Amino acid sequence: MEQSGEYRIAARREDVWSALNAPDVLGACIEGCQRVEKLDDEHFEVAVKAKVGPVSATFNAALELSDIEAPVSYTINGNAKGGAAGFAKGSANVHLDEDDGVTVLRYGVKANVGGKLAQVGSRLVDGAARKMADDFFAEFSKRLDPDSVAVATAATDTDAAEEREFEKSGGWLMWVVAFVGLAIAVILAF
Amino acid sequence: MYQFNYHKPASLDEAVALFREADDPMYLSGGMTLLATMKQRLAAPTDLIDLAGIAEMTGVQVNADAVRVGAFTTHNVVAGSAEIQQALPVLSQLAGLIGDNQVRNRGTIGGSVANSDPSADYPAAVVGLGGTVHTQQRSISGDEFFQDLFETALQPGEIITHIDFPIPKRAAYRKFPNPASRYAVVGVLIADFGGSVRVGVTGAGPCAFRASGIEEVLNEHLDPSAINGVEVPDAGFNNDLHASAEYRAHLVKVMARRALSDLLKT
Repeated sequence: MEQSGEYRIAARREDVWSALNAPDVLGACIEGCQRVEKLDDEHFEVAVKAKVGPVSATFNAALELSDIEAPVSYTINGNAKGGAAGFAKGSANVHLDEDDGVTVLRYGVKANVGGKLAQVGSRLVDGAARKMADDFFAEFSKRLDPDSVAVATAATDTDAAEEREFEKSGGWLMWVVAFVGLAIAVILAF
Repeated sequence: MYQFNYHKPASLDEAVALFREADDPMYLSGGMTLLATMKQRLAAPTDLIDLAGIAEMTGVQVNADAVRVGAFTTHNVVAGSAEIQQALPVLSQLAGLIGDNQVRNRGTIGGSVANSDPSADYPAAVVGLGGTVHTQQRSISGDEFFQDLFETALQPGEIITHIDFPIPKRAAYRKFPNPASRYAVVGVLIADFGGSVRVGVTGAGPCAFRASGIEEVLNEHLDPSAINGVEVPDAGFNNDLHASAEYRAHLVKVMARRALSDLLKT
């Protein structure tokens, strides 16, 4: 499954970049986040208790950043384990542009899921993933500029044939959000 | 098997008290979503509070301008109720289209509405008929009840007790069902209140909503061809292996035209 989106955040690019790399900020923006730990500049561990409708599951994710070009872009590879719920892995690209004092954040995620998540279908995968990403960015933008509202323009694209495929791209917090979203979404699909 | 505590309170007060005291509680209504989720270990509440024993959540009352349905009323009861068939036939018809017979025998209107599955049928009726959702502490307008994917105006611990549906002059519901689950890929309910038309849509977006563009043209001309020129934007619509967002936007108009044709025949 693939997902991409664009958000306009009323803050300087350097500030957005540093917030994207600050575990405490990220943790505070992810609903249900129980732990964010920065192991080194390129490795993070995250635990999230995610809840969508009737489904709730705790995911532990290990994330690795690569292709870092501060303060413009990076790639994140991630691996999330959700116990009985199954697992998800994938990658995301995050790219920041400046536009008239506003930072435009674009991301693209590719992921696939396994275990129970994969068995139970995909009726709501995209919807749940998008909602989690939107919730995350709404909170993230609010923290960087309390007066601003991020304009969410998330778009998703699912390709069943591609679900078995695991590709790389980046953006680590996106990751957390996207992974968990995907995972949960897949679960909901029964 | 994992362990959880099972409670069957006899009153709303008792149910709410149990909810407040428990670590990670869930209310159980018909269980047609929750039990399946628990069996897959995708939800593991510490306490399950069964609402089956609460008398004030049952029963159907019909008066001159509204139908009141208790939250614990099953889909088959709504589908088969002679009173509802007489006063608000669209609601019986909609309930008869939900899932399969097993689901209709166990699933409840309150559970369906509280869960706010994006493809559930009842939300189209709550929104399209302009219903009112009553809980143990307040009343919530149907227009404000559904907020997002599985998100409603309900607060933690709040229980739907009954739902009031105003009786329109005439109404009709059409859905495009998923052939396996019978969930609505898109469902549209149109209600004519004599002068004002309401259009409730389910399945298309993250939660049920009113199609204001279609309502506008139908308030001018109550004719299926009037729907042809309406733009239904697909931004934010559901997009999955069953149907793309664009296809769902198209289905909204098709289902609306069919519902309106049915409505005009009554």
